[in-house]
Amino acid sequence: MRLSRRGLLRAGLAGTAATTLGGLASGCAVPTGSTGRNMVLWYWSGGLSDTVVKNAKARYDSSVDLEAIQIGGQYRSKLITTITGRAHIPDIAGLKGEDMAAYLPNADQFIDLRTLGAEKYKSQYLSWKWDQGIADDGTMVGFPIDCGPVAHYYQYEVFRKAGLPYEPDDVTNELNTWEKFFDAGVQLGKRVPEAKLLTDITSVFGNVVEQGAKRYVDKDRHFIGDQEHVRRAWALAVEAKQRKIVSDLVSGTPDQLSAIQDGKLPSQLNASWASFDIKNGVPKTKGKWRVAQMPVRPSNSGGSFLSITKACREPEQAFEIIAWMLNATNQAQGYIDAGLFPSTPASYGLKQMQEPDPFFGGQVTTDIFGPAAQKIVVAYNSPYDIALSQPIKDEIKNVGVLGKDPKKAWSDAMSKCRRIAKHLGVSY
Amino acid sequence: MASIKGSRRRGIALHLPLIIGTLISAFPFYWAVVMSTHSSTEIFSYPPKLLPGTHFLENVRNLFDAIDFFGSMWNSLLVATSVTFLVLLFDSLAAFVFAKFEFPGKGLLFGLLMVIFMVPAQLSVIPQFVLMAKIGWIGSMTALIVPAAANAFGIFWMRQYMKTAIHDELLDASKLDGANFLRQYWHVALPVVRPGLAFLGIFTFMGQWNDFAWPLISLTNPNNVTLQVALSQLNGTHGTTDYGIVMTGALLALIPLLIVFAVGAKQIIGDLAKGAVRG
Amino acid sequence: MAVIEQTPPAVAQPSPVRPKKGLRKYWHLYAAISPFYLIFLGFGLFPVGFSLYLSFHRWDGLGSMEWAGLSQYQYLLSDSDFWNSIGNTIIIWALATFPMIFLAMVTAVMLNSAVRFKGLYRVAYFLPNVTSVVAIAIVFGSIFSTNAGMVNAVLNAVGIDQVAWLNTPWGIKVTIAALMTWQWTGYNAIIFLAGLQTIPSDLYEAARMDGAGPIQTFFRITLPLLRPTLLFVLVVSTVTGLQSFSEPQVLLQTSSNDSTFAGGPGHSGQTMVLYFFQQTFDNNDFGYGAAVAWGIFLVVVLFSIINWRLVQRRGD
Repeated sequence: MRLSRRGLLRAGLAGTAATTLGGLASGCAVPTGSTGRNMVLWYWSGGLSDTVVKNAKARYDSSVDLEAIQIGGQYRSKLITTITGRAHIPDIAGLKGEDMAAYLPNADQFIDLRTLGAEKYKSQYLSWKWDQGIADDGTMVGFPIDCGPVAHYYQYEVFRKAGLPYEPDDVTNELNTWEKFFDAGVQLGKRVPEAKLLTDITSVFGNVVEQGAKRYVDKDRHFIGDQEHVRRAWALAVEAKQRKIVSDLVSGTPDQLSAIQDGKLPSQLNASWASFDIKNGVPKTKGKWRVAQMPVRPSNSGGSFLSITKACREPEQAFEIIAWMLNATNQAQGYIDAGLFPSTPASYGLKQMQEPDPFFGGQVTTDIFGPAAQKIVVAYNSPYDIALSQPIKDEIKNVGVLGKDPKKAWSDAMSKCRRIAKHLGVSY
Repeated sequence: MASIKGSRRRGIALHLPLIIGTLISAFPFYWAVVMSTHSSTEIFSYPPKLLPGTHFLENVRNLFDAIDFFGSMWNSLLVATSVTFLVLLFDSLAAFVFAKFEFPGKGLLFGLLMVIFMVPAQLSVIPQFVLMAKIGWIGSMTALIVPAAANAFGIFWMRQYMKTAIHDELLDASKLDGANFLRQYWHVALPVVRPGLAFLGIFTFMGQWNDFAWPLISLTNPNNVTLQVALSQLNGTHGTTDYGIVMTGALLALIPLLIVFAVGAKQIIGDLAKGAVRG
Repeated sequence: MAVIEQTPPAVAQPSPVRPKKGLRKYWHLYAAISPFYLIFLGFGLFPVGFSLYLSFHRWDGLGSMEWAGLSQYQYLLSDSDFWNSIGNTIIIWALATFPMIFLAMVTAVMLNSAVRFKGLYRVAYFLPNVTSVVAIAIVFGSIFSTNAGMVNAVLNAVGIDQVAWLNTPWGIKVTIAALMTWQWTGYNAIIFLAGLQTIPSDLYEAARMDGAGPIQTFFRITLPLLRPTLLFVLVVSTVTGLQSFSEPQVLLQTSSNDSTFAGGPGHSGQTMVLYFFQQTFDNNDFGYGAAVAWGIFLVVVLFSIINWRLVQRRGD
């Protein structure tokens, strides 16, 4: 087959003309923000329950055309770009929990939900979660979707064989400090050959910091990553390494999955949503798992918000939709559909959330995650936290994976933080 | 006798490495096929699945439910075809000039072209969005087609190709016959550089077909996106991504590319009948 | 730019130009090359200028911009993470590019002389370039995994200790380079093949008459006439290879707590563009991100000029 130049030319010209003209024509009619009945909601796949989105569309059908769009790829950069470009800004936008520190300083891009009567819902939501959606100046940017309480997942049989507590209550009560948790790791290593308690030391470091009320930069734009709360987390992580209770595997790799399946990594500290990863990753371990509280106190990982942007023309209507979508009943549905752990404690007692889970040997996992979610402490998240925690997290990883000397690693991390702090205008 | 034996040995020496290369090349593709026939749970479970499973049709059904597969495929076809046509025309014209003519400022202009080629693409995504929003092209395919209509890569490639492919005697002869520039381009240059054009066409089409970063940002209307953007809407967070569906979508999206390639690649080695003499 | 002007003078007689009439005489040539420059003026110049402007400011992407003078660039020069990413990028590029060019050329020459199954081979060698990068990453992640991986199984079989490919600085670089080599060898083989097709067969005929063997023929005829193609492949591999990011990103993306732009333990797989993404999108530091992008641009230009010189000079 030979393509004739003339044929190609003709086909190409026709196609190009059609698209360009069509594009130009529709280009002129492009609206900014919403018009009339049309209301656009942005979220990401798995960010909301499909059932709830569908029900919301039907419920408000008489007054608005709710258009719910799943945005792929880098969600935050797409939202920021769109707001900056001032075209096609959604009326309602999902905001991921870990991105809140970036949105809150720009609270003027969003409508203050307090002006729409959000306060009257406050008592129904976890208070720390509610506060996470509020900017320094008091503007309420985000309305709580879900949260990610972290708990201790472990394999029942392996713990029993190792002579460790194995019933969830006993694990919660007896492994309630990091020292006891580490001791258990040492005992596990002795009784079960090749078994390690945790995959890596990063999870120790991260969780210890997240358990507290302080992070890396405070409200006054001062670096606090060199203070006691971080040093302690560092020391505990290093101790875990020195006592040889962590593996040298990388989480999510086939090596790690095979170790989990063989009972050589029978334990992990992970958020509520991680149960999906475990169920998908090692389906053969069904029935072997239990969940208990993690040592000391729970921490939080993930969880997100809905917001109303300044481009929205009917904020009252939008707020009504949000408040309905995120009420206790619908949040329970979100847990069933997408593993979104509710930020409304009233959901925990609902029948859907009290089902025994055969993957966890018939345990009702809400009994662990529910109380955990209510014990999480509020922390201030600075927009500079990500940049100034990265060197410390990198170096603790170097200690864990590459075997770097902890003293050297700490001083490297601190000198890098000092440099970055200076660059970002954060006092050190 | 000896010559037959020799040619057979030569054949083995030639085909054995080619077959090994084929196997290495095709293996991850095979794996993608395997993944598309399993459910998400099976894909990430341990031990890994080595043989195709039974979930393909289910994955296809779920895929078609989740996204407007054919609508977005039509958009992708429109964009890729238009851009390919424009690129072939504009790039080959410019390349012909750079390869075979002298004019004031040529070195400077070509240098500028190469420098533009080296500007990191990521640099311009955000300002380009702002610009497109100003002229009202955001959300339309025009925003994908017009900026891509000519590119430095293609001009550079065709220039390098034309240097050896178009013989100067041919051009001189046509000039003596009184052919003007356009006639030289159309009747002398283009027929000779068909393989080069085929290559450029294939890879322009492929690049547009797989382009993702810019369409994702600029196509804000969910009912009017390209295939890659539609497929990206399947990606979730925290293990909620159904990789079985993602892989099925990725594989189905390859079919038009493989057709374009199979047709286009014939052009690249189309004149092998001549070459066979030397073999 | 002086480098580029060294390219062998093209054909058409450069008759002495008289300045005034000159430009009008060449109008059709300028018109023919104009689309590219017009499109750049329309859509490229503003973004490039804007990012230059941005690199002299602090900006979080949403709020107001703050003048920063040259401080972003000063910081760039002292930023050990940026220098580390330059080193990583160049090492990965070299580990991928040279084997790739060699293999691509060998494959092209073989494909050019193979008579049977051409179509099959062509499609097969094209597959790596179109297969979904998600699939590739998952496959390579499992092939190179420490305990369960195929590569280590082979190494064990021949008595070599297993390597923690995705957990050691060199292992990470080699794995990324292997992925890139796999992905781009067929593509470049097709480019070389197109170049081989432009070499007139009578040249080979003449060489055979002179009694030249296949290796002699390759070095005396094929390689010199393939030089423009080789130059193209090298420059394009440099420009795209130095801007690589998706391979390390998908390969080293592990737990959801990690930044996807960090490039694995010790940032060993963090390329320049990944570092740009980390600064821009993880840290919301758009001003510094723009400065990093200009740093990348300079490195790419420098390297391309070096490569261009190497290929142009040799044998000319």
